[in-house]
Amino acid sequence: MKLILLLFLGQVAPVEVRAFDTPYDAGGSITIIWEMDTAWVAKVSRIGIFRASAPGLQDSLIETLYKPDSVYVDNSAKDNVPYYYRIVVYSDDTLIAEGKTASAAVSTQQWFNGKRLSVLIILIIYTVFLLYFIMRARTNKNLYIRKIAGLEAIDEAVGRSTEMGRPIVYIMGLGYISDIPTVASLAILKRVAYKAAEYNAEVVVPCYDPIVMVAAQETVKEGFVEAGRPDLYKESDIYYLTSDQFGYAAGVDGIMMRQKPGAVFLQGYFYAESLILAETGHSIGAIQISGTTAVTQLPFFIASTDYTLIGEEMYAASAYLSRDALSLGTIKGEDYIKMILVVVILIGALMESAGIRILTDFFSIF
Amino acid sequence: MVNFLKKLAGIDRRIIYLAVFLATAVPILTKAILKIEPLPEVRKAYEYIESLPEGSIVMVSIDYDAASMPELQPMLETFLHHSFRKNLKVIMLGHWALGLPLGQQALEEIAKKYNKKYGEDYVFLGYRPGVAAVIINLGKEFRNVFSGDYAYTPLDSLPLMRKVRNYKEIKLLYGLEAGAVGDSWIQYGYARYNLPIILGTTAVMTPDYYPYMQANQVISVIGGLRGAADYETLVGISGQASIGMLPQSVIHLVIIAFIIIGNVGFLVLRRAKK
Amino acid sequence: MKKEVPLAITFISGLLLVLALFIPHKPFGNLEEIFNDWFIIVSGFTLLLGIDSLLGYNFHKIKRKDKDAPFALILILSFFITLAWGIIEILRTPEHNPFSPSSTFSLYFYNYIFIPLQSTMFAILSFFIASAAYRAFRAKEINSALLLVSAVLVMLGRVPLGQDAAPYVISVIFLIFAVYFYAESTGITETRTKLIYILVALIFVALIYPLGWVYFKKHIPEFADWLMNIPQMAGKRGIMIGIALGGIAMSIRIILGIERTYMK
Repeated sequence: MKLILLLFLGQVAPVEVRAFDTPYDAGGSITIIWEMDTAWVAKVSRIGIFRASAPGLQDSLIETLYKPDSVYVDNSAKDNVPYYYRIVVYSDDTLIAEGKTASAAVSTQQWFNGKRLSVLIILIIYTVFLLYFIMRARTNKNLYIRKIAGLEAIDEAVGRSTEMGRPIVYIMGLGYISDIPTVASLAILKRVAYKAAEYNAEVVVPCYDPIVMVAAQETVKEGFVEAGRPDLYKESDIYYLTSDQFGYAAGVDGIMMRQKPGAVFLQGYFYAESLILAETGHSIGAIQISGTTAVTQLPFFIASTDYTLIGEEMYAASAYLSRDALSLGTIKGEDYIKMILVVVILIGALMESAGIRILTDFFSIF
Repeated sequence: MVNFLKKLAGIDRRIIYLAVFLATAVPILTKAILKIEPLPEVRKAYEYIESLPEGSIVMVSIDYDAASMPELQPMLETFLHHSFRKNLKVIMLGHWALGLPLGQQALEEIAKKYNKKYGEDYVFLGYRPGVAAVIINLGKEFRNVFSGDYAYTPLDSLPLMRKVRNYKEIKLLYGLEAGAVGDSWIQYGYARYNLPIILGTTAVMTPDYYPYMQANQVISVIGGLRGAADYETLVGISGQASIGMLPQSVIHLVIIAFIIIGNVGFLVLRRAKK
Repeated sequence: MKKEVPLAITFISGLLLVLALFIPHKPFGNLEEIFNDWFIIVSGFTLLLGIDSLLGYNFHKIKRKDKDAPFALILILSFFITLAWGIIEILRTPEHNPFSPSSTFSLYFYNYIFIPLQSTMFAILSFFIASAAYRAFRAKEINSALLLVSAVLVMLGRVPLGQDAAPYVISVIFLIFAVYFYAESTGITETRTKLIYILVALIFVALIYPLGWVYFKKHIPEFADWLMNIPQMAGKRGIMIGIALGGIAMSIRIILGIERTYMK
């Protein structure tokens, strides 16, 4: 009502403006908020934000907003410089409201991002669990780990392929070396190479990324050395194909059709090409062991390969295959933290259903 | 008889491929068009575009490439027909470099049919790297991102672009999405600048974009081949998507038939083994 | 030394990036960005490594007169022709862009080679989905039977003809189950089990009308959406949480140097 009256009188309404250092950031940013009367919202056509570095100085326009916002983050601020802000609100071309900050706002850098406290707490608990189980694993060598059929089948697959006198094709997917599934895949590749060297079989690895190719070459070589057959290692069997998704799928399909491998491993991160590869492998009668953390591709692998490592089973592979006590310890720790998380999720779901948002807010990091 | 049924469990995959081929090719060749009732969300998109006054400027973003062409190209073509018929001005750009020529070719071809002039009725800006940065900066000033169009003609030499400084002049963004670029259009284009958005998405991506529609952050989402066919129906053209409805239905039924046949064979075989 | 230095680099950079997540203050705040830039620069150069590997491998094949030598020749020729063509069009076209409309590269290579090849490879997927679905959806036990029925319902729910076809498809499937259970019951001597089998067969027959001809005839699209949004999503999220936890454990193993298969 007051606003309409002011408008009628052609007067400009006051705006209460506050500016402060944007919290938990790397500096260079000031947040400005202003009160917006609900009666304005429909009228506002633009809001101008002005800035000056001293109260008396002429300020200049830094941004124009074309919707009735009530917050703006100024990311062009310099650290440790005081700033004064002025907000002007227009309806069409008529100035309807104006306001200034009362005191200076100064941007600084922070040493801790408080919004990520929940992540830090979980990380600490997780690390403590992992370290505890790693320590325990050093003294107690008999940590139990359940049987994973897909990993048990590796030796059999390599053996059968050798009996048939055919090579083994190992596909690492479209992941880069910075993706964890690719690193997990390398651990499985090492086992495959080790077994292949024992049986005197050929391992062919067509790669999507050159860095992954180099890592695969090192891994296969290491597997052959460990098996005592470095003489059998052929670097030219691990080569780069292309970095185009469907070009890679076509290339690998061609290799499978021509070389007719007895065993095909699909381990790594996959996209829409997963089934194109797996069905071709199936059509040539190869025994196939797949594994991926790409949830959308898992159904395809389960449908068309003999064994599938589902998500975290793939991450457990290196520990499972090496039976290294330290690695097994981390898996044990992971299981315990998972149980804790299940409880937290259940409590969170109940609290959220009851309208209590403490836990939800604590875990929202943005 | 029992032996025949047992064989059903192990049909040669080439027979399946042949059936899939025929189930797709024959309905496509008949060019028969299934009568479909357009989905409400597609109708909403259509009505929004219908409501734009003549001469309004709309923008199209090409965020897909050849792999998703069957679903998204009909959505693009229908939109261009719809816009040019209504005398809307079209600006085209994109974030998938390898898909942009698909957009440009369709734009040139359809513009010609309606006797539209380059620079006055439509403009092709092309590609600039950096999805979020491009979207944010266009909102401030088009010239910050594109000093000229795809052929380096300065923007101010193009009559249409002389009127355009930022999103204020754009009455609609029509984004064709095969990936996650649509999220950026919403997060930056809508949230910061109130840019009105309609998205055309591949069937796989559609569920990811529906929540934005429920939250009114986009005007509407046209999803998959079905959405494209609905849009064609509303605009009144019988394009590739409408023709695609029958094969899509038939192919689903053929796969279901094979699953059933396979199971008959499997169950008979299992009983025989006992 | 050969092992210690890379392990130390892994440990230090891993730890720094974890810290950077919690410290916005410089120099930690933009550390991830810096590391990413370095990674992009390094990986740009490794493309040369890839090209060297690809060409070397294929030249070797030709020299050896391998039976795949013709393919190798095609690959090498395509590689150099594409490269040369692209460079010529960059120099020749007024826009200095091989993808501009006046470029013959865009006209011929892009339209008549690249687009058809990419679309074809993607389209092959539909053939493979059919053959994989045929093999995979078998009613081996209760779980797989449920999976089969849900798959069929989702497929029906997503296409225009699905609603019309649903009653017939459901009738056929339920009749097959009914016949199967009845056939199984004939071989059973124990009366109670036999009766249970017959009862199950009767339930399937009884469900045909209310489920197939009343409920699904009307509501199959909604039911398909429900299946995808609730049970499917729940399972998917469970797997995703497992993957995230496994990923953290794996990362800690890499940072601590326990997992080091990637190096000698």
